[in-house]
Amino acid sequence: MNIRNYNIYFNTHTISGIIICALLYVIFFAGSFSFFRDEISAWQKNRSAYAHPASANDYDYLLDSLHAAHNLLGRDITFYVQDNNVQAYVNMGPSQDTTVKKKSTGEDGPRRGRRGRGNGDSAYFQYDFKQNKAGSYAESYDMGEFLYRLHFLAQLNQVPIRIGTPFGYLVAGIVSFLFLFALITGLLLHWDKIVSNFFTFRPWSKWKTIWTDMHTALGVIGFPFQLMYAVTGVILIVNTALVLPFSKLLYDGNSEELYTAIGYNDASTYEYAYQPLGERVALNPYLQQVSERWPGSHASRIYIKNYGDQSMHITVEATPSVETNFAGAGKITFHPASHSITTEKSPTVSVTYLDRVKALIYRLHFGDFGGYPVKTTFFVLGIMGCLVIISGILIWLVARDKKNIPAHKRKFNFWAANVFVAICLTMLPVTALTFIAIKLNPAADQTFIYRIYFYSWLASSCLYVARRNLRTTNKETLALGALLSLCIPLVNGIKTGHWMWQTYRTGALDIFVVDLLWLVIGIVGVIAVLRIRANERKVGPEKPVIPATREVAPITPLEEPRSAIDHP
Amino acid sequence: MPANKKYLSSPWQRFLKITAGFVGGYFVMLSLHLLLTHLFPQEQVVITAFITGYILWAVLLLLAFLCKSGWKIWGIYLILSGTFYGLFHLLNH
Repeated sequence: MNIRNYNIYFNTHTISGIIICALLYVIFFAGSFSFFRDEISAWQKNRSAYAHPASANDYDYLLDSLHAAHNLLGRDITFYVQDNNVQAYVNMGPSQDTTVKKKSTGEDGPRRGRRGRGNGDSAYFQYDFKQNKAGSYAESYDMGEFLYRLHFLAQLNQVPIRIGTPFGYLVAGIVSFLFLFALITGLLLHWDKIVSNFFTFRPWSKWKTIWTDMHTALGVIGFPFQLMYAVTGVILIVNTALVLPFSKLLYDGNSEELYTAIGYNDASTYEYAYQPLGERVALNPYLQQVSERWPGSHASRIYIKNYGDQSMHITVEATPSVETNFAGAGKITFHPASHSITTEKSPTVSVTYLDRVKALIYRLHFGDFGGYPVKTTFFVLGIMGCLVIISGILIWLVARDKKNIPAHKRKFNFWAANVFVAICLTMLPVTALTFIAIKLNPAADQTFIYRIYFYSWLASSCLYVARRNLRTTNKETLALGALLSLCIPLVNGIKTGHWMWQTYRTGALDIFVVDLLWLVIGIVGVIAVLRIRANERKVGPEKPVIPATREVAPITPLEEPRSAIDHP
Repeated sequence: MPANKKYLSSPWQRFLKITAGFVGGYFVMLSLHLLLTHLFPQEQVVITAFITGYILWAVLLLLAFLCKSGWKIWGIYLILSGTFYGLFHLLNH
């Protein structure tokens, strides 16, 4: 390979990697758990979403109670139905009917939720079909939502810096773009030796060799997976980078129009007729009709336009069953006044190019196309990503812990690696601890989860930063994390009586899966800790290693000075 | 093991290359996809650009680092995006 190019790949890979490492670890770690977001919600609230068919959802009960409180005449109502069919986000817009509008603007309606559009009495809230209960966003916040939002750094949005997008999303977007860059340079860097390196694993040699082999082998195995995540991640978080100029230049500056063109929302409007329909329109029969037309499909969005008027239209968007179709989006519009169907596009036939690309982006990113086997595989690949990041940090440190590097630089390098490793590795025990805490406190809401998670994370990171020993950090966080993980199924069993064998037997698979996940993490963690201890005993008592921070640059070292993490 | 300094550029050159790759690369990528809307249906280009756009942008960022001179790569990217956008504009009117 061209030696100049090799060095450039090397340098750009290193720099982009070390800049993003800690944040990328957080994204990968929290993201891996987000595959089980619905399961974690069910686990925390102790309510299995299994054995709840979509047909049991009573939309008319919700519409009736909304109508009694807000007079739905002339309003647009949108349901964003979650994958488990139990929860939906509901958006209720202002009325088209000016006579109703005038009346309702006087009184201040319930402006719940974070996306209140500011339109007088419009509302945005979450609805639970199993309990027939509405809740504000903060009330229905749970650990699944927390980890899901942590994986695109939504909590950083509190930082009052806004450049186009909220701060947290911007940071997450930059991280995933640099990640994409680091992946390309990393691949090119290993291109010549990709086959031989793939089969190279020397677990019994020097630590630096182990880090390098681990970084390369796991990096190469995980490359397609990680590339897919880098690209889809950028798309999902900072697509404004493309949507903004495209809508400006191709759609006359109207981004709504662009989103409609690529089928993200239904911006169609119908002229308000001011002719109220005689009878109340029930929504349930229409959904029944959709499920009969397209068996196995999942109604993902329901748009009601101009409720109760002659011009009322009901549009249902549905995704096909993942068992038969990877891509595809169905859309059907009913006109209740004439009892007719105005448009229909089946989810299983006439799959367009747009549907295919969108399915590729979303299905691959969410890993929701093959049930638990795919989710588990993706989880393991995600955790492998975490290992690639940690080994990358360690290579970076060890490679710079040389006699020809000035002492102040080595001091800084150790300090940086120490902080990064402490922040990353404490995530496992902190997450496990929070799972226990939310189980012990049934009233756990957003504030509670924030407090437990972020304060314990801060405290444990500071502790390990202060101790300045990467080995200790690794060993102790792993041991603590494994023990806490093993406690999670126990705490759940004792507190709720939902022991694993019972949830398995009753078919509450979502609750079972979370317990099983933590059990397996705990067992793997314990095995790893035992292996580390056995290894240490074999090598003999560790010689007191002087951490690089305190090391005075040796005058004439005859051999390479030992690093803080390099084994004697 | 760190990369050999001899092959890396000076701070000023590095600044030029980073800006060329990040800013110039972005405009090359964007204008190329705009031009493609004349060959393929518009919404198909838009949705494809979500995937190809970011990959192309990252590759252009890397190419900027591989180039010998920061000025040269700025020039190339400016000419390319100018040509693509110019063609897109001409074909539109």
